[in-house]
Amino acid sequence: MNIGTRKILDRSFTAVGIGSIVVMALALMIVVVPIVYNGIGAVFFTGTVEHRKMLHAEFRRGDSQYLSSEVASSNRYRAKVYDMLTGFEAELETMAPEKKAEYQAKYSQVRTALQALLGPLPGDPEPMLTRFKYGQTRWEKAEEKLHDLLYESKWDNTNPNVMGKEYFVSRAIGFEGTSLARLFPYVKDNLENMLLPEFTFYWGFITDSSVDSHFFGGIWPEIQGTFFLAIGAMLFAFPLGVVAAVYFTEYAKPGFLNSMLRSANSTLAGVPSIVFGMFGLAFFINTMKVSESKSVIAGALTLAIMILPTIIRAAEEAILAVPKTYREASLSLGSTKWNTIATVILPAALPGILTGGVISLGRAAGETAPIIFTAAVSVGSAIGLADVFSSPTPALSWNIYNLASEHEAATQIRHVQYGMVLALVTIVLLLNLSAIVLRARISKKLKG
Amino acid sequence: MINKLLLLVFLLAFAVNGTANADVKTLVLDGSTTVGPVAKSLATYFTKKYGIRVTVSESGSGNGAKSLINGSCTIAAMSRAMKDAEIAAARIKGVNPVAHVIALDGLAMVVHPANPVRSLSKAQISSIYHGTITNWKEVGGANARIVVIQRESNSGTQDSFKELVTGKSMQITGGAETQSSNGAVKTRVSTTPSSIGFLGLGFVDRSVKVIAVNGVLPSVKTVKNGFYSVSRPLYLYTNGQPSGPVKQFIDLPNTVEGKAIISELGFVNR
Repeated sequence: MNIGTRKILDRSFTAVGIGSIVVMALALMIVVVPIVYNGIGAVFFTGTVEHRKMLHAEFRRGDSQYLSSEVASSNRYRAKVYDMLTGFEAELETMAPEKKAEYQAKYSQVRTALQALLGPLPGDPEPMLTRFKYGQTRWEKAEEKLHDLLYESKWDNTNPNVMGKEYFVSRAIGFEGTSLARLFPYVKDNLENMLLPEFTFYWGFITDSSVDSHFFGGIWPEIQGTFFLAIGAMLFAFPLGVVAAVYFTEYAKPGFLNSMLRSANSTLAGVPSIVFGMFGLAFFINTMKVSESKSVIAGALTLAIMILPTIIRAAEEAILAVPKTYREASLSLGSTKWNTIATVILPAALPGILTGGVISLGRAAGETAPIIFTAAVSVGSAIGLADVFSSPTPALSWNIYNLASEHEAATQIRHVQYGMVLALVTIVLLLNLSAIVLRARISKKLKG
Repeated sequence: MINKLLLLVFLLAFAVNGTANADVKTLVLDGSTTVGPVAKSLATYFTKKYGIRVTVSESGSGNGAKSLINGSCTIAAMSRAMKDAEIAAARIKGVNPVAHVIALDGLAMVVHPANPVRSLSKAQISSIYHGTITNWKEVGGANARIVVIQRESNSGTQDSFKELVTGKSMQITGGAETQSSNGAVKTRVSTTPSSIGFLGLGFVDRSVKVIAVNGVLPSVKTVKNGFYSVSRPLYLYTNGQPSGPVKQFIDLPNTVEGKAIISELGFVNR
């Protein structure tokens, strides 16, 4: 091949390489940027006075004096709204029956929209569910609800051959000529005074328990459950995996059984995680009865079995990568086989073994399928270390799925879902980073 | 060294946290996603009032029954009554399932808000799910292919739908799409203009349009007085007659507070 063609080939290969890296980076950006942006929105956001009321009532947090002055100032503006409502209710009574019925239906919609915006109105019974005790706690949600109050969504079905189109009708027009017509411009102009939005740093999102199935509060039980499950899985899988790897590399005689075991191990690494979940339910809970119900221990054992093949493979590779000269030197000094393994080979292989272990830890933290039937619940408080043998736990991976698909108000709590996703991604990232740091430190120690 | 210290502190924090509530018994609820919101809210209230921890999983009525039979949950939440086969399986394992009705629920037929259809008869719904009616045009709607959405085989809502609307023996069309929870059905219907699905009444919000069945719209009133025929009771099942904390939990839906919680969630008190 002449030198010109070789250069062109070389350059085009470089170009393809750079191109694929750029594509990968872009793909990563498309995935990660919305997660980070929306996830951070769970902690940093423009909170309203309703958020501060909620924090004070549910978590005893915040300056009560400042809060009461805020509530008083917001109530001054709200009082006018409430006056308009009572005024209109009196006006309703004076109307002709058919007109009254017509307005009544529209008026109840207005009340519902106002309740969503400001919380319970005067005359409403005290709600049992915390979600109805407060108005909108986040300003961007409040603006959505304001739109719901000002405009009614209708569907245009004039053409019977196609599906309808949405259009919005101003509610103010519907109440033209009544005293309630003034309400809409008033709420629109004074919403800020009624809700007092200000920049909020809600660190409690990480450390609080959820209030009323994740409508308010934080995700601490989920974070804790994820840690318990991942670390529990590691406690079982890591020692077992290393011992198995030592057996495979040092003790097992090459032969049919050995190669069968190895290929079984490789196959196990490729089994879908839901299969491990079903196995965990059938074996650990129904047969072995490690716990009466789902529990952290059952989930951790299931995850341990799932990550075991990966740990064994990583440890095997690491042990095989130790130079033969180390072993020979040790043996020639009169050391026994076991002593050589424990004092020479394993320490030298440690960085590789640990890397494999920590990456598996990250996988255990992120898996959903194995814990659905063995450990995860959608609602539960944070559990203590003593409860891991008997209690199931919420966990990030499962609760993200649950909140996004099964929750009765999934669209209203998008920020919580994103916050959980960001928390999970961060935990896995931190674990992987710590693996890199750990590996670097140990390698340095071994060299020095 | 610092690392090890940090780790120690971290583990201690968990351990201290743990000893505080080690001796409290936990109630474990498993089952229906339809009963889910009620179960979750009752659980939160119960934990607050009695200090007893309650965990709730939403894995479907079928799974709830299995969990109760295997003894891996204290209370099974179900949106249908236990089947004879399940009761027989329970008896073999020495479990005696006792039903407690906690609320009523209408099974709302929902379509996308853009859909002009307001009402369907049970026969029309059956034909749609059977696959003999495939276009909205045939039931007075726009010219669009009907996207049929059903629930998974594990679902009590699916069983109730078959029993109350199409008849148990009817084969649902192979073109029907399966979603695994009420929430997922709602999301699918609210994003697909030509779809039809069914939801527990408590899950209905403005993102979907409820259509009348045989001319009656489901509401708390029509479900309670029986005018809306596609409704069913929601159950909690226990192993034997409940006692202690389990009984306290089962009795909760009959208290004033429990009733308020149920009606605020949009479900129907008995």
